[in-house]
Amino acid sequence: MTKKLDLLDIQGNVLRPYGRFGYPVARYVFLHVSDGEKGRAFVGAVTKSVTTSVTWGAGPDQVPQPDWTVNIAFTYQGLKDLELPTASLIGFSSEFVAGMKNRKDILGDDGPSSPQAWDPIWRENRVTREKDVHIFISLNAHTPGLLEDSYAWLKGMIEASDGGVVLLSGHLGDNNAVMDYQDVKVVMENGLPTAKEHFGYVDGIGDPAVEGLTADPQFVLGRGKQMADGSWAPLATGEFLLGHIDEAGEYPPAPNPILLARNGTYMVYRKLHENVATFDAYLNEHGKHFPGGKELLAAKFVGRWRDNGAPLVKAPDQASKDAFDAQLAAADQQGRDALLSNFTYDDDMSGAKCPFSAHMRRINPRASLEFTRDPNDVPGSLKVSTGAFDTPGALTNRRRVLRRGLPYGDVKDRSRDDGNHGIVIMMLNADINRQFEFVQQQWINYGNDFKAGNDKEILLGNHSADERFASKAVIQVDPNSDQPPYFLSKIPRLVETRGGDYFFVPSMTALRMIASGVVDPT
Amino acid sequence: MSNVAGKSYAMNVITPVRSHLAWVNKVIFWTALKLPSTLKGLITLSLIHYARWVIIGKHQFPHLAPEQPKEALSYSYMLFFSNFNGSWDQYVDSFTFAIPSGLDMFWKWNIRYPKSVALTPFHKYIQYNQIETLHYYNGYPLATSNDVKSAKTVKDALIAFDQTAHEGTDATFLKRYHTLLRGLQHDLGDMYPTPIVSMSAYQVERRTRWHASQLQANPLKRGQQ
Amino acid sequence: MGNISGKAYALTILSPIKNGIVTGEEIAYADKVRDLLQSWNLLPNSPMTQVPQTYLCRYFVLDDVYTESLPGASVLDTFADLLPVVPDAVRRRILPKEDHLKSRYLVFSSNFHGGPAGDVDGYLRGMWNAISGQIKQVWGYCYGFDQVNDAASFVGYMKKCQLPATLFFVGANDEPLPEQLKALYLKQEFARFAVENQGLEAAVLRANYHAFITRVAPTNLSGPTWEPGQYRL
Repeated sequence: MTKKLDLLDIQGNVLRPYGRFGYPVARYVFLHVSDGEKGRAFVGAVTKSVTTSVTWGAGPDQVPQPDWTVNIAFTYQGLKDLELPTASLIGFSSEFVAGMKNRKDILGDDGPSSPQAWDPIWRENRVTREKDVHIFISLNAHTPGLLEDSYAWLKGMIEASDGGVVLLSGHLGDNNAVMDYQDVKVVMENGLPTAKEHFGYVDGIGDPAVEGLTADPQFVLGRGKQMADGSWAPLATGEFLLGHIDEAGEYPPAPNPILLARNGTYMVYRKLHENVATFDAYLNEHGKHFPGGKELLAAKFVGRWRDNGAPLVKAPDQASKDAFDAQLAAADQQGRDALLSNFTYDDDMSGAKCPFSAHMRRINPRASLEFTRDPNDVPGSLKVSTGAFDTPGALTNRRRVLRRGLPYGDVKDRSRDDGNHGIVIMMLNADINRQFEFVQQQWINYGNDFKAGNDKEILLGNHSADERFASKAVIQVDPNSDQPPYFLSKIPRLVETRGGDYFFVPSMTALRMIASGVVDPT
Repeated sequence: MSNVAGKSYAMNVITPVRSHLAWVNKVIFWTALKLPSTLKGLITLSLIHYARWVIIGKHQFPHLAPEQPKEALSYSYMLFFSNFNGSWDQYVDSFTFAIPSGLDMFWKWNIRYPKSVALTPFHKYIQYNQIETLHYYNGYPLATSNDVKSAKTVKDALIAFDQTAHEGTDATFLKRYHTLLRGLQHDLGDMYPTPIVSMSAYQVERRTRWHASQLQANPLKRGQQ
Repeated sequence: MGNISGKAYALTILSPIKNGIVTGEEIAYADKVRDLLQSWNLLPNSPMTQVPQTYLCRYFVLDDVYTESLPGASVLDTFADLLPVVPDAVRRRILPKEDHLKSRYLVFSSNFHGGPAGDVDGYLRGMWNAISGQIKQVWGYCYGFDQVNDAASFVGYMKKCQLPATLFFVGANDEPLPEQLKALYLKQEFARFAVENQGLEAAVLRANYHAFITRVAPTNLSGPTWEPGQYRL
């Protein structure tokens, strides 16, 4: 049975990575609600301009693509100050109520990533009530000029709220200037927009295929869940949207009434600073020694080659990469998608191609966790433990997130870490604890599920500067080869958290209900 | 209370079984013991150090002294004890995702068992029947079940390698050494005191501060680290 | 026997705690036992570090058994719903009854190395010899414990409190604890050695390796090694 989602009820940022739809620039603005009633009026006024997920075009049931988009989300404190009924508030998840800052020990936000080092807006959040972050508004635009138009519109709306909402300043920009907003934009290369982040990796490949959203049967290959017969199926809608059946066949826990929750979701907003100088120096140093050279090593960090995202499981060395590149150049959009996303780890269970600590294998192991050691095999081998689990991807399918966001800042001097450059990542999921936090804690900052002890994910791991807890990663080799594995030693902290929080992204219906104060769980 | 000791979580669950059906459970456990394939999912998950199921007949609660009142129960009880790696929900979730039919096979003879899928009723059932541990001791708090197993692999391989470490040229030593490392490429993960599974940042900080102050006040003797 | 898997042993003890009030204090015996056990969590490390061969163990107080009230999918629950013709009287009989314990029980559950024969006597003697003071404190409020005055009577008492495991699953290792601790120590040290000596010339590597082996002494269980219960590096 084909499921159809109410695209007019779901906010557009939930289902669309705007960067891929011709919006290379965006601005994230955060507000404080000073007056419940006026605040609700503001939400009501903004809601009229909020971009939905409806199909863009000139056809029936379509709307023209806007020049800029508007989306809105709320923290727990925000919903409270907008005077949602207590009986509704207690239905939100405890980690959402606690907020990202209070979850620092779970998330590994320590050392240079600890809240004391966050941007002022996030450092001051949840300390005094007047500085609490309540509302998130994102503006995505076709051009910088149009982005300014959208911001002027928003400033007008804030002004018109008559003190109902206050803009919170405190985002660090170029030269540590304190900004009223967080700007993000695609990274340019030779005057052309790219899909890369500041370390040089093509990013944003492999967004999950969600039931009800994916009309194209090709799209699900490598993006959905891997089935026992080798086929792929879309992930249940309820993994990403409240009020829909999830992978356990139930409605995910959500606040009452159902109209408040349905077609809404939770969003994790995280500003991640990238230490480009440290990254370059570390890559150069190890690139000198690593068999296969620097670019292959860079690919081993992530599981994909930097220049075009070619997955290592398909292109494990330079020769196969050349062949892959030729195929990619000749392919149409659908073919490119399949080349980049449609793969499994079935032929790489020992990690000889894509190491176990590579970014991609850690954040989405696909079916590779259904694995075991066979004492009859060559030492150093692991193999598929066929039929051990309910489905091959059982341990992965309920840990997926939709990833949104764009890089921020420019790298003006690659020899310095302290410039204004990084990415703002937004992850959408129905259960922050089960999905985002689990991946962050267990798969990024820890390695037991990968039989790697405390070895962390190479790129995002919260690598310690303390010698006693030095971080390493093993770059595995073919157990039947005569090579030794390569050890990445004393991995430095490459990425640092600079702030963020947990938000609730309501449906359009829920937005109108929140605005008019008619949410009633009785 | 302390359900957590290092990287291990202690779960205790007690559930009623109809006395006349307790034997069915016993047969299933016996089969599991004789047919290792029934435990394949559990072994592949590799999150458990040790787990046990104890069925207490309704007349079998220990009676130690004449003044102790005799129990008069309607049901027999199944006690489940597990030592697993991860937090409560991480563990329960991984098990229901990976081996729901295995869980159902062991528990479906128990009264009002809801089945392991959907997740929320199963969570509720365990919470309802769980008993918190008061004191939990772990002989190797820094290690997971995977670590313990790979440690044995490392130790055996190293002792075997050392038998011939003095033989041959430096070049053959290097070749053999590379073979040793390759064979151990999934066994050399570091063991550090993280991750924290206790949910309260405040409690975590308090415990860390407390241990630091204890250490300052009375530096540890060996055996107390 | 269900208690033994390989060389690992599953010891399950349920000791009935006396009903009544601790003399001079307004607290029940079972609650006193609970407080005592909780106070162990505030020590630098557990008294159980002193008990040889203990892999993992736990203590708790079983206050009562749980009475089920949720609708379920157990075999009989389902069967009773299967046919509309099942009379209501039968349905009602299927509904769970309310059970209660008459004593509260101190539960001690230990996983230890007992060897192929499952030497539970030896383990319990070792426990008595190591921590008889704590044992007397904790078990002192249990029925029948007043008969215990030495290792032999402790073993005898514990065996009367013991319940057999129906299934014991060993997911890790059943070697003696000192072997396991030595292995963990070696794993950590060798990982570090491998990282620090990567890429060295063969002769230098070999010399370093021999120095390493001399230092870590892989077959010497007495040291260097990890201590039981060591949670810091």
